[in-house]
Amino acid sequence: MWDFFISIFVNVLIWIYDVVGHNFGLAIILFTILIRIVTWPLNAQQMKSAAAMQELQNDKEWQAIQKKYAKDREKLAQEQMRIYREKGINPFSSCLPTLIQFPIIIALYQSIIRALASTPLDLLKLSRSIYLPNVSELIPLNSSFLWMDLGRPEAVVLFGLAIPTLALVVAITTYVQAKLTMPTATTPGDQGAAMSSMMSIYMPLMLGWFAITFASGLSVYFITSNILGIVQYAMQGKANWHNLIPGFLKRKE
Amino acid sequence: MRKKLIFVTTVLLGAFLLSACAGGPVHGTTWPGLATDGGLIYLADGPFVYAITLGDGREVWRYPGERNSKLVFYAPPAVTPDGLVIVGSAGTDHSLIAVSPNDINPDTNAPFETWKFSGAKDHWIAAPLVLENKLFAVNADGNLYVLDLQDGQSSKKATVVELDAGRLWAQPTTDGERVFITSLDHHVIAVDANTYEVVWRKDLDGSVPGSAVLAEDGSLYVGSLASQLEKFDPATGDHEKILDTENWIWGTPALEGDALYFGDVGGDFYSLNTVTGKLSWNPVKPNGPITASPLVLGESVLVATESGAIYEISKDGQSSLWSQPGGQIYTTPVRAGDLILVTPLGTAAYLYAYKQDGSQAWPPFTPEN
Repeated sequence: MWDFFISIFVNVLIWIYDVVGHNFGLAIILFTILIRIVTWPLNAQQMKSAAAMQELQNDKEWQAIQKKYAKDREKLAQEQMRIYREKGINPFSSCLPTLIQFPIIIALYQSIIRALASTPLDLLKLSRSIYLPNVSELIPLNSSFLWMDLGRPEAVVLFGLAIPTLALVVAITTYVQAKLTMPTATTPGDQGAAMSSMMSIYMPLMLGWFAITFASGLSVYFITSNILGIVQYAMQGKANWHNLIPGFLKRKE
Repeated sequence: MRKKLIFVTTVLLGAFLLSACAGGPVHGTTWPGLATDGGLIYLADGPFVYAITLGDGREVWRYPGERNSKLVFYAPPAVTPDGLVIVGSAGTDHSLIAVSPNDINPDTNAPFETWKFSGAKDHWIAAPLVLENKLFAVNADGNLYVLDLQDGQSSKKATVVELDAGRLWAQPTTDGERVFITSLDHHVIAVDANTYEVVWRKDLDGSVPGSAVLAEDGSLYVGSLASQLEKFDPATGDHEKILDTENWIWGTPALEGDALYFGDVGGDFYSLNTVTGKLSWNPVKPNGPITASPLVLGESVLVATESGAIYEISKDGQSSLWSQPGGQIYTTPVRAGDLILVTPLGTAAYLYAYKQDGSQAWPPFTPEN
């Protein structure tokens, strides 16, 4: 089943590669846009749910049950679920796109590695998972894109130092995206805001580490996906640009 | 607290799954390289190159002595006239290393490195070609590296012949004057063996993962993933398609006299008469895809298939099962004296040694750790 999933990714990637004139980097970017379009409704739902959850923090009834059942977690959970039902909020729908991202990242990474086939066995396997008619003309795929080999981790050597420029861009765009979507803490001890704040630190570090360690094709995916995410938030008027400036809110207060 | 736990678990799971995709050197990532110098068998299989006795299949040494995550070996080792064994790494350390099988470090039971060349940019998949006192080594970075075997340097320099030919996975072939190189980027290139200048360069319709083979009449034969067998004039590079096959030709064709034997990935096996240019008999279909080169045994030809079986094809095209070690066989069997050596993938044992009648010469070789 998983192999079939990878196979679909590989075929779509190689089809795009063929259409855009044998440019695998461009194929990854277009493929990422395609994935973003497919998951657009999910992301929109996530933003809607996040906003609803944020509004809920200011709801008087919600605040009342937090106080009333502070020492009875089971009852608190029951009451929270009741309010969710009454207001038509699904608390898990804000997590769904994030959870869907992980299998896509892993599948994309495996697809890139499979498509670029760095060993004879990989090439043989690749030949069997392509359903396009002109396979023998297409392979091997051209893994060069700008200054990168998309099948390998990227680094630019400057003054004898290998600088992982793409990893830095991945970390920065991930940070920007996380900050733009981070809700503003309205109440002390707001767990949602604290969680978002934590993720805005850990996610850039984690994806940056992935970018240093794994094929640079994956970094191209991360960067494209992050930029598209920022654009989507901005287009829907949800981007919280003030969060990008450290201390902005404090000064405002 | 629960959210934190879910987040941390998701991150760790993601990291683990991605790491698993790019893990360290392991047996079975691709097919092993096999060679012999008549005294020892050299098996390049993942983290190690094993030296095994021909007489009883015992491990004598392995290189490196301890697993090194940067070194991965699949290229068939090559042996120089002075007995050095050349091994190329397909790991993140792209070194070509010469070890001396007679100079063993007693602490690690691994041979000492005599020299090392670290100038290539990508994997070593192909065995290097030894031509007199020079080593012609092609790398997946698309370059040909020519090394002087007698300069005494322990950190080798190479003459780099930039071929811009994509990945080079097949051992070069030579007629003494020229070195013929085949490429996954659909090229066949002839390089002058003395001046290292490109004599000619031709494009085919598909990748060429196998080597070119020189016939007795001086013609050069090349099979490609365009499912075509091409015949070249080695002097000019003029070429013509002489046969369309049912599927991709992966392995290097084998030549005996006027007969050229080769298989395709669809499982068909062919015998072409190089004088008449016609098939000796209708293709036979042993059982399973063929990526390995055939092994000519005098009166018959052995063909290893992906189905894990070896078939004996008689000169009149009759096929019979010769032996079945199991797994999948992609590596070309090697003849060493009276023994036939086979290294399948997907079996517990790494190496099988057969006598000419198909019976096993000694218990299959499995490394102890």
